[in-house]
Amino acid sequence: MNESSLFFEVDYYQINKSGMSVAGDVFLSTRSDDGSIVTVLADGLGSGIKANVLATLTAKMASVFVLNSMDIRKSAEIIIDTLPVCSERKIGYSTFTVARIEPDGNAYIIEYDNPGFVFLSNNGAEKISYERIDIKSSPVKKNFINYYSLHLERGNRLVFFSDGVTQSGMGCASTPLGWGSANTGEYIEKLVRSDPGIGAGKLSRSIVAQALAHDIYKAHDDITCEVICCREPRKLLLATGPSMHSDKDREMSERIRDFKGCRIICGGTTSQIVSRELDVEVEVDISKISRDIPPKSVMKGIDLVTEGILTLCRIAELLESGKFRNSDESNAATEAIALMMNNDIIYFLVGTRINEAHQDPSMPREIEIRRNIIKKIIYNLENKYLKKTELQFI
Amino acid sequence: MKKTRITICTGTACYVLGGANLLELEDFLSDEMKSRIEITGSACLGMCKAASNDSKPPYVKIDDEVIHSATIQKIIAYLSER
Repeated sequence: MNESSLFFEVDYYQINKSGMSVAGDVFLSTRSDDGSIVTVLADGLGSGIKANVLATLTAKMASVFVLNSMDIRKSAEIIIDTLPVCSERKIGYSTFTVARIEPDGNAYIIEYDNPGFVFLSNNGAEKISYERIDIKSSPVKKNFINYYSLHLERGNRLVFFSDGVTQSGMGCASTPLGWGSANTGEYIEKLVRSDPGIGAGKLSRSIVAQALAHDIYKAHDDITCEVICCREPRKLLLATGPSMHSDKDREMSERIRDFKGCRIICGGTTSQIVSRELDVEVEVDISKISRDIPPKSVMKGIDLVTEGILTLCRIAELLESGKFRNSDESNAATEAIALMMNNDIIYFLVGTRINEAHQDPSMPREIEIRRNIIKKIIYNLENKYLKKTELQFI
Repeated sequence: MKKTRITICTGTACYVLGGANLLELEDFLSDEMKSRIEITGSACLGMCKAASNDSKPPYVKIDDEVIHSATIQKIIAYLSER
């Protein structure tokens, strides 16, 4: 893996409009075969299911068109013409922002009626010039699309948000017309200045939390924020499972010790092997217990030590559903996910010895073979969370 | 007086077969019992690999003695006899 190349960390956070079970804002991110990243943030007309359908259609179409390098004007026209028409308002409408970022840092952004995105370099927020493209498809209103083309470098950030952010607090004495784009931009700049290493996850969560506070903790609209950080890739090593051959125990332990980055060990036996080989104590921490996931352990020099299969299965499940974002769940699995989200390249060092005790038919069927779970985790990390991964069996 | 050490296995097999509940042991003990024991967790004790019909997870060690198919009641019964 070329480690000097640029890495783009993508994450988002979202809160539904108060009382709505689904969001009318939809965020999608995909990586194309050539390594480009395409993200879409769409906000459907209205709220709830209807808006969700509009936004999902828009996001999906936009990402497919952009992935296939279709002409922007044409794509936008097709999207606008295809959307189902709202029974009350007689228009089919969804705003969207599509970003395509190529591996060398060239970025192309199309913005249709969403609040303007914020571009941050090391010197703070910067204005980006754009081209205003007229698309004549709508019978109802004049339509313009903003088209940006820029080059991203290490340390740059792009922050996209729906109008739920800029219009938060509307009608309140302090913000009669809502938070506004300018104030939102200033707030983002301040956040980044006070924490220059802030990742996409934390930044998007902080912005959404602030917008929600303006709405006095009852969102008046869906609040969504997406952040893309271009940065030196952060690395994480996840070691799990004892090696098939015990003469590799030493090698595995040393590779964990010598790894430069964040380290996780998943597996009771694995942690005991590392503890024995490196002569570091490992101790189970039973101060915090969860019904579903065994407690974590503490080992000096290792960021997180957990049980193996159950925790990995839960990690796979949470990554698949994405539910770790808006949940109060707190256990070894969610801690591991938090570390994964905060890192960019994730190395898996997987021992393949089978634990015979797990093959007992009285065990729950969720207990799977380690290799299979790791495969699922890797699939989701790569495709849903746009992480880079590397897998090695030992 | 030396405290009795109770080691609860938190390995996968023990955990799914009832070990998860054992971690709440302390909530079920009288103050007198609490004062004379010490509870710790442990990674897999390795005993599940030799499990048989007469010896099943979850395992708990009370000092050096192993209790199989451990339940909170079983541990309390054991402690009251000591």
